[in-house]
Amino acid sequence: MTGPLRSTSTRLALAVMGAFLLAFVLLGAGVYVAVSTLLLQDARELVRTDSAGLMQLQRDGGRAALVQELRDRLDAPDDPDAVYALIGADGRVEVGDIPALHAGRGVRWTTFELAGDAMPGDGTQSPRVLAQLQPLPNGGTLLTGLRLQSQDRFLALMLRTALVALAVAATLGALAGWLTSRWVSHRLGHLDRTAARVGGGELGLRVPLDGSGDAFDRLGRRFNAMLDRIEELLGGVRHATDHIAHDLRTPLTRLRNRLEDLRHRSGATPAERAALDGAVQETDHLLTTFGALLRLARIEAQPPAGEGPELDLSALAADAAELYTPIGAERSVRLAPSLEPALVRGDRDQLFQMLVNLLDNALKYAPEGSEVGLSLHAGEAAVLRVDDGGPGIPEADRERVFDRFQRLESHRGTPGSGLGLSLVRAIVHRHGGRIELIDRAPGLRVQVTLPLAGAPGRIAPAEPLE
Amino acid sequence: MRVLLIEDDPHTAAFIGKGLREDGHTVEHAGDGKQGLFLATTESFDAIVLDRMLPALDGLVLLQTLRGAGNRTPLLLLTALGEVDHRVEGLRAGADDYLVKPFAYSELSARLDSIVRREREQAQREPTRLSVGDLELDLLGRDARRAGKRIELQPREFRLLEYLMRQAGRVVTRTMLLEAVWDYHFDPQTNVIDVHISRLRQKIDHGFERPLLHTVRGAGYRLGE
Repeated sequence: MTGPLRSTSTRLALAVMGAFLLAFVLLGAGVYVAVSTLLLQDARELVRTDSAGLMQLQRDGGRAALVQELRDRLDAPDDPDAVYALIGADGRVEVGDIPALHAGRGVRWTTFELAGDAMPGDGTQSPRVLAQLQPLPNGGTLLTGLRLQSQDRFLALMLRTALVALAVAATLGALAGWLTSRWVSHRLGHLDRTAARVGGGELGLRVPLDGSGDAFDRLGRRFNAMLDRIEELLGGVRHATDHIAHDLRTPLTRLRNRLEDLRHRSGATPAERAALDGAVQETDHLLTTFGALLRLARIEAQPPAGEGPELDLSALAADAAELYTPIGAERSVRLAPSLEPALVRGDRDQLFQMLVNLLDNALKYAPEGSEVGLSLHAGEAAVLRVDDGGPGIPEADRERVFDRFQRLESHRGTPGSGLGLSLVRAIVHRHGGRIELIDRAPGLRVQVTLPLAGAPGRIAPAEPLE
Repeated sequence: MRVLLIEDDPHTAAFIGKGLREDGHTVEHAGDGKQGLFLATTESFDAIVLDRMLPALDGLVLLQTLRGAGNRTPLLLLTALGEVDHRVEGLRAGADDYLVKPFAYSELSARLDSIVRREREQAQREPTRLSVGDLELDLLGRDARRAGKRIELQPREFRLLEYLMRQAGRVVTRTMLLEAVWDYHFDPQTNVIDVHISRLRQKIDHGFERPLLHTVRGAGYRLGE
């Protein structure tokens, strides 16, 4: 139950973290683009000013002055990032140390990489150069450039910082998500476990509240109020059955006693006595049915029997088999027990009642001269099988036979209250087990699986029951 | 036999009182717990029939007070609540037997006889042999004989016969047999006990002129001549 629960909160935490990281990446990319554009504009402005200065010099002092100035600047640079070159009309580099460039017509911007000019710090990358090509009036081109290494270094640093920040944010996000999902499933876990145990019959259980008044606390309080109401209603049902027991069983018993009184009176003819005997028997039958109904209601309302004393089911089964062997013998039905010791926890009398009802049913429907099997195996759980060679139960009726007073049409004529299997199922469920009806073709196998005493827990029903 | 009946419901009290008087007992009736406790401690009775739910003083408290004071009078507890824990509670408090309301008078009569007899037997030495007519049961040798002829009995049949012989001459109900001989409290679906009794009857009465094991209509069985 905690599996899907945990994954729900985990999914939520992951989604929040993903959205957070996406926003971070988008913001970072935007800042990066804006900063690099700004830096490039600054660099262009610098180059443009520098180039304008040189062009002014050329106009004032002629080409020789320009060449002299360029040589001076190259020999003793004011700015180590500045790049200058004079390219002849034939494309040959006359001044400066740059690779040959194709100088087109008109003013244009270019970027290139200056090989061999290692960047201090990390020497692998050759710095980019942003340059303006300015055609000179008497042929040739002036190249004024700027190494972008400081800009590049700044951007690289920014990128590295952003990546580290991203990694830290992702880690923190994952941690926060994990803690949140743990906290949520911890809070929900209380509810979940309580609901599961209450579903198992421990109706007195309540969700622990921390009094913080938060959403989980409020949910817990609502949940508890709901459980109070359920318990109240169940108590009402129990009260009602107790009242029925008192209000109807007592007059029935009086009726029975009066009938018996009448029978004992002298003066009754044998025919009258026989009629009265029949009436007493009918009343007894009614009282028995009533008793079974009350017992069923009580067992269904009882908490699970998992805390009961340890007992050997095989001993109970052997006793039940012994009790019923003569009954079978009357109709020459042989009872064949094959029992392994199996320790279970629970109510001895109820488990015996279960065995008796199962054997009673099997012997009732087994054809004369056949064999009724009673086997008990202890593997993962205690598996009890009662096999008969009777007519079996049609597939469609298999679930129905467990309902109160449900008797199959074909069995209407036989004695029985129609509560035997309901009682068996109530007892099996109370002991955390399950019951299955299996076709033996011909015959029926009733298989009861109960948890062993060493392995607490419920056996999940093979198919949803109710 | 002098019986004290502590029961608040007049209808039930009248019904039990009538039956007991018809059986030849003297009956004193107390309508609430206080009066009942007063009668039980000041007078001497052979048996007490006590309702669990009483006004003024709860039946269970009365019982505990009585036993606490050293009063050992055989006591049959009547209860409207038929659950196992109530039975255990009652027996632990010192009741000799319990009976769930509603009940047939024959059941009450049989149980009352049984606890009074048990009390008397406990006063004597535990017998090693039981006999009814020419039927003898050796409890130590696990041996049953009728007219000197050995009868083969299964262990459960032996216990059944032993119980019947201990209650010889008295009516024993089917529920009493189930509880005493099989030691389970359950609701038999069919009359399983009848089948076991008829098998036992085959073994002890077959071939003899006078049957010892009798069926009492509407009540149960009785072993005796």
